Amino acid sequence: MIKKSLTLVAAAGAIAGMVAASAAEAQERAVKIAGFGAKSGVVRVFGINSEAALKAALEQINNGGGVTLGDGTKGKIALEYYDDRCNAEEGISVVRRIASTEAIIAVGPTCSNVAESLFGILQKKVGDSSDSGLQFPIIADVAAKGGLAKISEWAFRNVPSEFEMYKSLFAWVKTQYPDVKTIYGGVEKDFAHSNATFGVIKTQAEASGLQLLGQGEWLLNDTTFSTQVREMKRANPDVVAISAHPFTTCGVLKEMQRQSVKPKLLIGLTSSSSIETLQGCGVQAEGIVIPTSFAPVTPEATKAAELVAKFGGSADLHSAAAYEIAFILKNVIESQKVMGKPDTVAADREKMRAGLAALKETDGLLGKVGRTADREAIKPFLFVHAKDNTWKVLHRPAS
Amino acid sequence: MDFYLGLAQIVGVHTLLGLSAYCVLLTGQVSLAQAGFFAIGAYVAAMLTVLAGWHIVPAIAAASFVAGATACAVSFPALRVKGLMLVVATLAFGEAVRLFFFNFDYQVAKGEVKIGPAGGEGFRQIRFFPENGWSTLDVLIFIWLFVALVMAGLWWMDRSRAGAVLRAVGEDEVAAQSAGINVTAVKVAAMTVGGFIAGLGGGIFAHYTAHIEHAQFGVALATFAIAYPILGGLSSVFGTLIAVVFVQGFLIEGLRFLGDWRNLLFGGLILLAMNVRPRGLIDAATIAAVKRMRTSNKEPGNARTQGAE
Repeated sequence: MIKKSLTLVAAAGAIAGMVAASAAEAQERAVKIAGFGAKSGVVRVFGINSEAALKAALEQINNGGGVTLGDGTKGKIALEYYDDRCNAEEGISVVRRIASTEAIIAVGPTCSNVAESLFGILQKKVGDSSDSGLQFPIIADVAAKGGLAKISEWAFRNVPSEFEMYKSLFAWVKTQYPDVKTIYGGVEKDFAHSNATFGVIKTQAEASGLQLLGQGEWLLNDTTFSTQVREMKRANPDVVAISAHPFTTCGVLKEMQRQSVKPKLLIGLTSSSSIETLQGCGVQAEGIVIPTSFAPVTPEATKAAELVAKFGGSADLHSAAAYEIAFILKNVIESQKVMGKPDTVAADREKMRAGLAALKETDGLLGKVGRTADREAIKPFLFVHAKDNTWKVLHRPAS
Repeated sequence: MDFYLGLAQIVGVHTLLGLSAYCVLLTGQVSLAQAGFFAIGAYVAAMLTVLAGWHIVPAIAAASFVAGATACAVSFPALRVKGLMLVVATLAFGEAVRLFFFNFDYQVAKGEVKIGPAGGEGFRQIRFFPENGWSTLDVLIFIWLFVALVMAGLWWMDRSRAGAVLRAVGEDEVAAQSAGINVTAVKVAAMTVGGFIAGLGGGIFAHYTAHIEHAQFGVALATFAIAYPILGGLSSVFGTLIAVVFVQGFLIEGLRFLGDWRNLLFGGLILLAMNVRPRGLIDAATIAAVKRMRTSNKEPGNARTQGAE
């Protein structure tokens, strides 16, 4: 009798175990994606913010029921984030590592120099059998240097067009500050993004009729700017445009305050419209005008900013792009009927690439985001200025 | 698998960089110019494949010669100074090279796009490997063929009179000069060979990263170049290889999962390694021990030999 009871209990236990295991398996079905960017070094804040934004968005998605997979089952999106230290060689290694996992797409990188190398090792044209480049979809959230997605058909970006932003900004400056005639530039010369954007700023400033009096140059790791600011002071410009990241932007602004350089208008780099600038030099940055593709001006953007903060990050134009990407990926996974199984990884990657390439428009935190044929985004933007240690919206070109 | 093959590519190229510094260190000179020669090799090889349409083999050969010739030319004035002065002189040269490429703009139109070095924005689309259908394994074999050739060459040199001369100069210049060795010629030769190897490594580096820019060839790379042979030990060429595997394979890739802690551990572990093995991971004592083991294994009365019989 006892033996029979034990057998029954054991059988029941085994069945319960199997049921529980299959339930857990169904529950644990996850589509794997990877994120990567600089989480160490001078620009580590970009990676930290991007990771926080991705986690915040994925929590929203997963708590809302996850994604519907190709076979109709529900799945979660699982993220693993890697540090590439803003180093091209490490970035390549990280992406090769990600490509050897079951991740169906990678979100990153944060640095344009890494994106240049990474996109270069991808297959240039899809289906070109003579090109042995890596066939793995990557969508960039932060790397902002112009035209990067052109490098490969496996490369996508959800970053704003700085050309359009500064073109619009200088057109607005012309109407709002009719008395300004001259401009002086400052550029963080050894950083791909700031250096490339400075070219855009210069071109657009001159196109709007401003006379360029000169330019000061410094490096990302520089800490003293007295010579550059002295020359700036000597030029006595109406407008000073600083194309640099928050760390050196603050250094220059503090030096400008020390040398009493007070232009009529200060213009900054998109990446400097972040909390780091306010934390580093909120007083000196007072009044600086920056075009950005993020500000908490819509209910969605406000909610995103709160959620990103919950994960230890800060919402700015870069991390907001990462937040948006998570929702873009959810839609593509569902529209392309991604399976999310270990044996469908290669097919799922191709589906993700095809799905992203087919997009004409996506939902952004500030409104609809257009997609171009060369896999770039046309994002809505606005102008913010630093006022009382916060970023306040100064003008919305679309409105 | 692709990841490990890619990692082995990085190890191969960094081994070439380390071996370029190894040659110079053997003569007792500390050169921070290796990153500069590496940059010259990278830009020359990339320009030849991308702009001139050369095959990669003649391109990296030409790049190596240009880097070697530059090293030879630089070594004459640079080697007039010693010790810390030489470190500063070679560092200045490396920075001069980096800044040259920072300002070097030579783009030509290819269809609708312009290609070539674009100053601070770098040199993109160096895609010889993928455009010619080379798989990751093909690239790996290609890289390690050169690594093996260079290592074999240096290993042979170490066992020849040339190696003895290099080490003699490195140990005591005055004594070497007294023995009739032309110290300047030896130092220039070492610097030239080092420049040649760095140029070779740089040429390959440009092609596996697909994009190069001045910032990649800064002081950090120059420091890594001399750190590899110092960490690995100057007693054998294999020390440099072991050090590169330790740094690139373990410290950088192996500890990536540690996130921010990796950077803290990075310096700490190198310090620890240098303290535990002050003469390098493979020092003379290690080589002697390996030789003893091999000798004892070959002796007729040896237990293992008997067992095998």
